Amino acid sequence: MPTFEPKRAAAIHRDLHSHVPSDPVLRVKALESLAVERGLVTSERIDAWVEAYSEHIGPKRGAQVVARSWLDPGFRTRLLDDAASAIREFGFEGDATGDLKALENTPEDHHLVVCTLCSCYPFSILGMSPAWYRSAEYRARAVREPRKVLAEFGVTIPDDVSVQVWDSTSERRYIVIPQRPAGTEGWDEDRLAAIVTRNAMIGTDRHLEIGAP
Amino acid sequence: MDGIHDLGGMEGFGPVAATFEQNPFPGFADWEKRVVGLSYTLPLDGMTIDWFRHVVELMAPRDYLQTAYFDKWCAAYVVMFTDNGTFTLPDFGRPSALADTGAPSGEAVAAVLAQDRASAGSYERPAGSPPAFAVGQTVRTRAHMHSGHHRLPRYARDAEGRIISHHGCHPLPDASARGTETPEHLYTVRFDARTLWGPDAPPNDHVALDLWESYLVPA
Repeated sequence: MPTFEPKRAAAIHRDLHSHVPSDPVLRVKALESLAVERGLVTSERIDAWVEAYSEHIGPKRGAQVVARSWLDPGFRTRLLDDAASAIREFGFEGDATGDLKALENTPEDHHLVVCTLCSCYPFSILGMSPAWYRSAEYRARAVREPRKVLAEFGVTIPDDVSVQVWDSTSERRYIVIPQRPAGTEGWDEDRLAAIVTRNAMIGTDRHLEIGAP
Repeated sequence: MDGIHDLGGMEGFGPVAATFEQNPFPGFADWEKRVVGLSYTLPLDGMTIDWFRHVVELMAPRDYLQTAYFDKWCAAYVVMFTDNGTFTLPDFGRPSALADTGAPSGEAVAAVLAQDRASAGSYERPAGSPPAFAVGQTVRTRAHMHSGHHRLPRYARDAEGRIISHHGCHPLPDASARGTETPEHLYTVRFDARTLWGPDAPPNDHVALDLWESYLVPA
């Protein structure tokens, strides 16, 4: 059982430097090998998780959810009402999406998601977060100067569009539903999903590119 | 705690290193993928998400800023599994070699995908008392917090905002970090950007935070 003693944890952090390799490659290897040696984990199980996030769990899931919301008004209503339940229709429920909220961009509103305190992210629907999302720069600035941050992603928000920043301070997680671009009339779900970017579902992309006609 | 982890609104950071990649492990080194796998595989008996977060927050500030995100996770696991007596720090100086494993079997991948789906669930808990605040109400956040783990960032203290939704009761992070589950009403509170950042902020921009009832007082 954990001691839940902050002073003890802080002391171990300080002592760690004299015992644990500082290179993350060696440090992680040491942790895995000790955990395997004590029978806590198997490398095969870790391999399986890496494979699951490489081939199955990722932003393609979120893109499919977005595409369906553009095509099926009933699904869109269910998604906006209770996203955690709606993604079960795809079997996409999993880690960090049990209290999921979908935020719909409109001509008047642009949504942007951050976690200033750690880097919370809706893993089962968007997969692993990009490095910029976890950076001190993004965590510090997204709440204070979101328009400048968006400009660094090439996104300009007009003055009459309101920027809504969502700081993920609880176990609730957020996915942004971008607007469907013009010129995609008649497209099927797969074709629509292919234009939905990871950044658009976090909020650092607004106008999706539909590619060459 | 008023720690280095509480980065929201801090100034002096440079541009965000924007990337646009679509691949499943965007920019991940192999060791970072191993940490992800470990995070789902290590037996976290009795450990809570908030104890994990607090352990990360307790890293020395100088180290916190210089340590990559998944290296912080690794350090937190080293600390947590040393704290609970599984390992001693000197153990990390003599790791044994890891055997080469081939590609995982389809069954193994199916098993972890099933584990992931089965882990899904809301943090909402039965309410023991009626909510103190209502949707639409203006509230004020507490000016001062405590030195333990909590989820009210500095930039949103002593500020007036409007409750835009109520989510029933969720475990209070402050208690979860001490190993106790204490459900408390949770609200989403929306703040005008000008309230948080001053008159130069755009008039129609907002920041929303999910805040527990004990973080709020009547306006």
